[in-house]
Amino acid sequence: MLHIQNLYKSYGDRAVLQNLHLSIAPGEIYGLLGPNGAGKTTTIRILCNLLAADSGRVTLSGQPLSEATKPLIGLVPQENLQYASLTCEENLHFFARLYGRSRQQRKEQVPACLDAVGLRSRAKSPAETLSGGMKRRLSLAIALVHHPKLLILDEPTTGLDIEARIDLWRLIRQLQSQGMTILLTTHLLDEAERLCDRLGILKRGCLLAEGSLAELRQCITAQEIVIVRTAAEAAAIARAEALGFPHRRYGDDLAFWLPEPLEMKDIIDRFDGIPLESIARQPVRLEHIYDEVLRGESHERSQETPLPLEAIS
Amino acid sequence: MQGSVTRQLRRDWLGMMAIAQRILLELWRRKVSLVCWAIFPASILIVNGLILTERSQLSTASAFAQSVPPCLVGTALFFSCLGGSIATIVAEREQRTLKQLLISPLRGTAYFLGIFLAYGAIGMGQTLLVYAIAAFTGSEFKGSLSLSLLIIGLSMMAYVGTGFCIGAKLARRTEDVNALIAALGVPLLLLSGAFIPIQFFPEALRQFARYNPIYHMIEALAAASVANFRMTDVAPHLLFLLSFTGLMVLCGWLAYRQMLSSERRS
Repeated sequence: MLHIQNLYKSYGDRAVLQNLHLSIAPGEIYGLLGPNGAGKTTTIRILCNLLAADSGRVTLSGQPLSEATKPLIGLVPQENLQYASLTCEENLHFFARLYGRSRQQRKEQVPACLDAVGLRSRAKSPAETLSGGMKRRLSLAIALVHHPKLLILDEPTTGLDIEARIDLWRLIRQLQSQGMTILLTTHLLDEAERLCDRLGILKRGCLLAEGSLAELRQCITAQEIVIVRTAAEAAAIARAEALGFPHRRYGDDLAFWLPEPLEMKDIIDRFDGIPLESIARQPVRLEHIYDEVLRGESHERSQETPLPLEAIS
Repeated sequence: MQGSVTRQLRRDWLGMMAIAQRILLELWRRKVSLVCWAIFPASILIVNGLILTERSQLSTASAFAQSVPPCLVGTALFFSCLGGSIATIVAEREQRTLKQLLISPLRGTAYFLGIFLAYGAIGMGQTLLVYAIAAFTGSEFKGSLSLSLLIIGLSMMAYVGTGFCIGAKLARRTEDVNALIAALGVPLLLLSGAFIPIQFFPEALRQFARYNPIYHMIEALAAASVANFRMTDVAPHLLFLLSFTGLMVLCGWLAYRQMLSSERRS
C-alpha cells in the first residue's frame, strides 16, 4: 500500500529524515514511534503533500505522491481541526465537497460516516458543543468522509480520558476489520502495543528498529523483567551481575532482566541475603524495547561507532 | 486530457461553492455580524443623506442619491469585503483549519473565489439594502446599471484582494484585524471622501485623494449613476480601479501563496 524508499529531508543543515525506508501492507496498522523531533510529523507532512522531500521515493497504491494521491489519504491531525459553529453534518458535507463529492454521494456518505464513528445522534449539534472524545471522533469522520485508502492518525488519543481512548481504539480496530490501512503515531506505548500489527521506532530521522511486537522482543535478551525494591541496591546489582542478569532503571524502578522465566521462589533464592522490600515480575513490554532501542542508539552515538540496524533489531 | 481538465474544473467549482457556503453559514450562525453589516451601511446612508439634505440645500431624494456611492463602495464594501476576508483568513489560521484545507485537493484559486463569492454575496445584499433605502426616500437610479454593477464588482474584488494581502502578510491574530483596519483603512476612508466630500479638503489632501483607490471607486460609481452619464467622466476612475483591482488580486494571490508555504511547514 505505502512504500517509502530512501526518504531524505533536511531543514538547512539539520537532517530530519535520513534515508527512511518503510512499507505498510494493505489492511495493516503500522505504529510509528519516537521521541519529539524524531521525524514522525515530517514524514506525515511529506505523505500529505504538505512538504516536499529532498530525495527519495514514496508510492501510495503504486502511484508516486502528487496532488492526485491527496484523495487517497485521510489525516486525523493532532488538533481537532473543524469548524466550531458548523454542525457535525455540515462539517462533513463541507469536507466531502472539497474532495469533489456530489450531493447524491454526500447524502449517502455523510450519514454512513456519522454512523461509523457513533455520532449519528449528534449530527445536528455544532462541533463546539461536543466533548473532547466526540470532537476526536468527528475528526476521524472528516478524515474518512472521502473514502481514503490510507488513514493517518497523528497522536489520535492525546488529551482524551481513558473511556474516550478505549472508545477510539475500538473504532480504529473496527476500521481495520473493514480493510483500512492505518499509519499511527503515538507517544503512548500501551496504545501502540494494543493496536499496531507492526511498529517502527524512529529517532533523529532514522528508523532504528522495525517489526511486529514479537520480532521487536528479540531486541532484548530478557524473557521476563523483575522489578526490585531494596535499600541495598548496590548489593542487589552486584548479585545480579554475578548471576548474569543485566540491570536497568525505568524511572525510579530498578529492574533486572531474566534471560529465562523463573519461579518467584527461585528469584528470591538467587537474591538470598539481600534485604528485598518488594519484588514484582513483568513481561517484556514495548516500553522496555523502546527504551532499549533508544538507549542503544544513544550509546552508538556516544561511541561514534555506528552499529548496523540488524545489530539492534 | 480534456476529461481531466473538466474534472478539475468541476472540483474547483465544488470547492469554491463549498468555501462560500461555509463562510455564509458561519456568518448566519453568528447572526450578529450579518445584522451589523446591514445596520452599518443603512445608518451611514441615512446620516450622510440627512447631513447633505440640510447643508447642501438639496432635496432628500437627491441628497440620498448622492450619498449612495460613498456609503456603498466607500464604507459598506470596505468593511464587509476587506474586513470580512481578513477575518476569515485570520480565523482559518488561528483555528488551524487552513491546514485541513491544505491536505485536501482544494486549489488556491477555488479558495480565493470562494471567499470572494461569500463576501460578494454580503456586498450584494448591502447594495440592495442601500439602494432600497435610497429608493424609499424618492431617489431614482438613472445611470448605467451594468457599469455600476461592474464598478461594484471590481470594488469588491479589489477589497478581497487587499484582504488577502493583509490577512496573509500582516494579521496573525484576530486582534490584529481591528488594529490594521483602524491604522490603514480608516485614514484611507476619510481621505476618499466617503464621509466628507473632498471639496472640503485642503488642496494638499485633495491631491493625495487622487491616489486613493477608494476615492476612484466612489467617483466612478457616482459618475456612472447619473442620468446621461458620460463615459469620459467614468473612464479615468474606472481605469484606476481596474489597475488597482488587478494589482491587489495579484498581490493577494502572491501573499496567499507565501502564507501557504509557511503554513505547510508549521
